[in-house]
Amino acid sequence: MIPVSKTIDADVVIVGGGIGGAMAAIAASESGAKRVVVLEKCHVKRSGSGATGNDHFSCYIPEVHGDDVEPVLTALMNSLVGQAKDVELMRLHLLESFDIVKKWEEWGINMRPLGRWNFQGHALPGKPRAFLKFDGRKQKAVLAEQMKKHGVTVLNHHPVVELAKENGRVCGALAIDASTPDPSFVLVSAPCVILSTGLTHRLYVNGTTPNYLFNTAHCPNNAGGQALGWRIGASMVNMEIPYTHAGTKYLQRAGKATWIGVYRYPDGKPLGPFVTKPDPEYGDVTSDIWNSAFLDVMHNGRGPAYLDCSENTPETLAYMRKAMFDEGLSALIAYMDAKGIDPARHAVEFTRFEPILHGRGLDVDKNGQTTVPGLYAAGDMVGNAGCGLGLAAWMGWRAGHAAAADAANSTGSADLASNPAIKAKMELLSSFMSRNIGAEWQEANIALTQIMSDYANVGPYNVRSETLLKAGLGYLAQLREETNASMKASCSHTLMRAAEVLDLFDCAECIMRSALERKETRGNHKRSDYTFTNPLLADKMLDVTRKDDGSVVTSWRNMKH
Amino acid sequence: MPPIIHADRCTHCGMCATICPMNIFKHEKGQTPKVAYPEECWHCNACVLDCPAHAVELRLPLNYMVLHVDADTLHA
Repeated sequence: MIPVSKTIDADVVIVGGGIGGAMAAIAASESGAKRVVVLEKCHVKRSGSGATGNDHFSCYIPEVHGDDVEPVLTALMNSLVGQAKDVELMRLHLLESFDIVKKWEEWGINMRPLGRWNFQGHALPGKPRAFLKFDGRKQKAVLAEQMKKHGVTVLNHHPVVELAKENGRVCGALAIDASTPDPSFVLVSAPCVILSTGLTHRLYVNGTTPNYLFNTAHCPNNAGGQALGWRIGASMVNMEIPYTHAGTKYLQRAGKATWIGVYRYPDGKPLGPFVTKPDPEYGDVTSDIWNSAFLDVMHNGRGPAYLDCSENTPETLAYMRKAMFDEGLSALIAYMDAKGIDPARHAVEFTRFEPILHGRGLDVDKNGQTTVPGLYAAGDMVGNAGCGLGLAAWMGWRAGHAAAADAANSTGSADLASNPAIKAKMELLSSFMSRNIGAEWQEANIALTQIMSDYANVGPYNVRSETLLKAGLGYLAQLREETNASMKASCSHTLMRAAEVLDLFDCAECIMRSALERKETRGNHKRSDYTFTNPLLADKMLDVTRKDDGSVVTSWRNMKH
Repeated sequence: MPPIIHADRCTHCGMCATICPMNIFKHEKGQTPKVAYPEECWHCNACVLDCPAHAVELRLPLNYMVLHVDADTLHA
């Protein structure tokens, strides 16, 4: 058995030290929680999708946008990020986001690189712009410093692999101490847990480099928040509505709106109707509106599609290059420089990437409270709100304050090691370490991507159906059984990856069960047996919940306006 | 696969191993870190940015090539 090296009592435990987790930790501390513990899989200075930067923060600033938030909200909801979200949450996010922006500026993050509040990109021509351009290169270092100032205990290299529940309430977490090659378990008892683990990749065959699992647009270090929530019985929402990102081909990297150019066919004709010349203020929103654009042009033979920045002025190109550093694209810039790829002279092909969980996951209220008492969530792993970094920062802030108040009246587990879920996970992971011959985690991960790409794939060129999804669930069950019985790990690193695969299995099951229940076609959830979009479901969300006995229940609720 | 650590410049501080978002390095005190899991690199560039000795560079694999054309071909 892997030994237990530490047991910790905390008021608030935060899983993941990215943007949402860091903000939650600082807020919980400000609200009076004495023992705030962040369990971070890697290192808070460089973890998560914001590791090396970000350049756009969704926000509403009255002195820029005017006194009415509604036009900005409408613009945000009409963009890719706004689909199938609770409008109520998105509105509140916008209304309160300027306070977060001012806080970040006070802490030392450059929110006005041009000396003014500058909103650009991801916008329809003539409509309000909701994304504040900023320089996020130092964001993680600044937030790490703030956590330190607030007395937050940060345990780096401590991935969380299970949560515990007692009497219907979350009561603690199990982590692996992966700071040394030999793993040990760390038990953290707490009445409140905040999940903020970001997006989930590695569920589908990679869209640009098949079976290269880690060539992804965002951080692929799956920290498991959706799976932790699913297993403990939190309601999940939007898991069946596929999300796909787009960007350069074959090297995946987020940040397409940082590019200032026009998407063009090979004959030079623009793909979309929005711009014919590069427009720094609005960008080319075509691929936000027309999600399958880059696939469509390959399938109809009119492609490929290029992003052409060559008609910018030298000043705009210099500005774009700087913004790409702000966004965290320094590796891409270095590669392009080395290969002589110059946006002034070259057009770069764009493509759609594989489906990921982004803005799909836990169903939360305005404080990030999930349907399990004591359990909160913030950021990209939330299912009913989503707007990248800005929303993560705002929701983390709210969740931290709420959890601190909640923790004042509750207690964590008195005996976490005896909790059935914790005990079972400790035994399973220990069995992986005790095995000398067996399956590598990569085998299980790749098998999962094969099943998902064959049986739960996404539109417009792949379909789901009852028979496909049921077959997929059956194969997943077989894979899970074989994996549990045969996977091996040799050190803390491979054990962490093995635990991630188990989390991915749960995400996959939740996706397929949700997809079975949505008996219509909506967005890229394309059902061959229900080819229509049902107007009666337009204003509804599907909640899917795993009960303690392992059964799964579904229910529909109205979107909150 | 990325990254590459230039041993002649490395000061063995272990910063790259500490901060890597994917935990791909192994580091023992007084030694140049090893890239233990290169296929798990996410090409975020954190190791390059944070190396105080500028001893790290990324080499992206051939199949990550960024496809591009001369922009003039679009303006003919």
